[in-house]
Amino acid sequence: MLNEERVILMTHMASYENGEGKKNVKIGNYFRSDYISVQVLKSVICGTIAFGIVFALYVFYDFENFMADLYKIDLITFAKNVLIYYGVTVAGYSLLTYVICTYRYAKAKDSLKCYYHNLKKLSSLYGGENTPKKPAGGRK
Amino acid sequence: MTGLLEVKEKLKMLYSRYEAFILPVMKFLLAFVVLNTLNGKMGYMTRLDNIAIVLIVSLMCSFLPTGCIILFSALFSLLHMYALSMEVALVGVCLYLVLFLLFFRFSPKDSLLVLLTPLFCAMKIPYVIPLAAGLLCAPTAIVSVSCGVVVHYLIQTVVASGPAVKTLGDDGATAKLRLIIDGIVGNKEMMVVIASFAITILVVYLIRRMSIDYAWTIAMVSGAMINVVILLIGDLIYDINISVVGALLGSILALLAAKVIEFFRFCVDYSRTEKVQFEDDEYYYYVKAVPKMMVAAPTKTVKRINTQRSRGNERSVTTERTGSRRPGNYGTAGAQRPRGDYRSGGKSITIGSTDSDNQNVENRSDDYEELF
Repeated sequence: MLNEERVILMTHMASYENGEGKKNVKIGNYFRSDYISVQVLKSVICGTIAFGIVFALYVFYDFENFMADLYKIDLITFAKNVLIYYGVTVAGYSLLTYVICTYRYAKAKDSLKCYYHNLKKLSSLYGGENTPKKPAGGRK
Repeated sequence: MTGLLEVKEKLKMLYSRYEAFILPVMKFLLAFVVLNTLNGKMGYMTRLDNIAIVLIVSLMCSFLPTGCIILFSALFSLLHMYALSMEVALVGVCLYLVLFLLFFRFSPKDSLLVLLTPLFCAMKIPYVIPLAAGLLCAPTAIVSVSCGVVVHYLIQTVVASGPAVKTLGDDGATAKLRLIIDGIVGNKEMMVVIASFAITILVVYLIRRMSIDYAWTIAMVSGAMINVVILLIGDLIYDINISVVGALLGSILALLAAKVIEFFRFCVDYSRTEKVQFEDDEYYYYVKAVPKMMVAAPTKTVKRINTQRSRGNERSVTTERTGSRRPGNYGTAGAQRPRGDYRSGGKSITIGSTDSDNQNVENRSDDYEELF
């Protein structure tokens, strides 16, 4: 005999697992600090590449003058300025990533809590016969 | 209104039944329109400006993920830029990479907006985008829409600088770079449009989430007005020559589009709003419940009649019309059907042979209302 409540619950959960849940389970497999560290590290790499691209465009934008002035300018001051710009860009971008990822992690955890609650409910609907389906494994 | 609601239900049913076919067709059409628009606007590489290539790529996009449409569109635009000049293509690659690395990775969910924004800008209906994004997406859509605006202005700058780039020839590589970079970085109009779209999305999102009656309508009207006001202020400050009439007409068109979106996404009946109050051990609850406007789509049920017993293997069909057409009969679509009766398409057909299965014949023949 079909249990309508069970079928509805399973449909909701399957839909969640296929959509938003897939991403949330991935996030939930990490500790909070690990997840944020990985994302910030990715941001540092992306920020470095992006800064490199923008800097290259800046150099090529006025290439003739840049090459002509290369021997006149104080290279150490120039490098220091470039490094300061780089640091500010990457630090700002990493901070933004930190804020966004903290929010995303908290949201994913809340969503997963609801999902696990539904798993327990499903288990109780089965009368505890079957153990509920466990989420994908990973570090905890 | 009831007729419209019936059409909406029918469309929903049609979509749920043929989703597997409709989605690839929509992707194909989107890719086809985007690539054709690109070819029409740029068209520097004559080999790409070929309907066969566009058709093949669109067909590929129809069964690939949505992100591939963006990838192919970016490739097409870069190839056109390359045909114009390698330096222009270099700036294009750099800009796409920066957008992808810094911004796009935070909102991959709204990736379609990056494609739709330049498309709608090219179609001269750009104001639909901030209203639609504010109504349908989260505020992170601001990133995708801003990226889309940047892409639109990159293409516009390339098109506008095309003749100048051609006259510069092979010697003026730095000059070509400078021309394109100046066209993008110093583009005040782009900055004003990004600011106005971002603020509009935020305002529309915040208002439509409020617990007030007609929140969506108020959100879209306020959004359209704020959009026009910011554009006019930007025009006054930076003298960017934004057409006032164009902005007003575009906003009216955007409001119409937003109304259509509201009809499909948030069709509620505020006249039947209920406010309830209850409590449990920990909280007091003040709940406002607004019922959705719904009407049962008329369905046709074909029932088997087994009255003609003598003819062997003959098939007969009867239709029964169910579902209400009465106006104001909202919110009862599910309630009219008995539990367990899941008619997925709104029309169920039973065709059977009459030589067997003759039990309860007289009882069954009374179940129908219409015959054909």
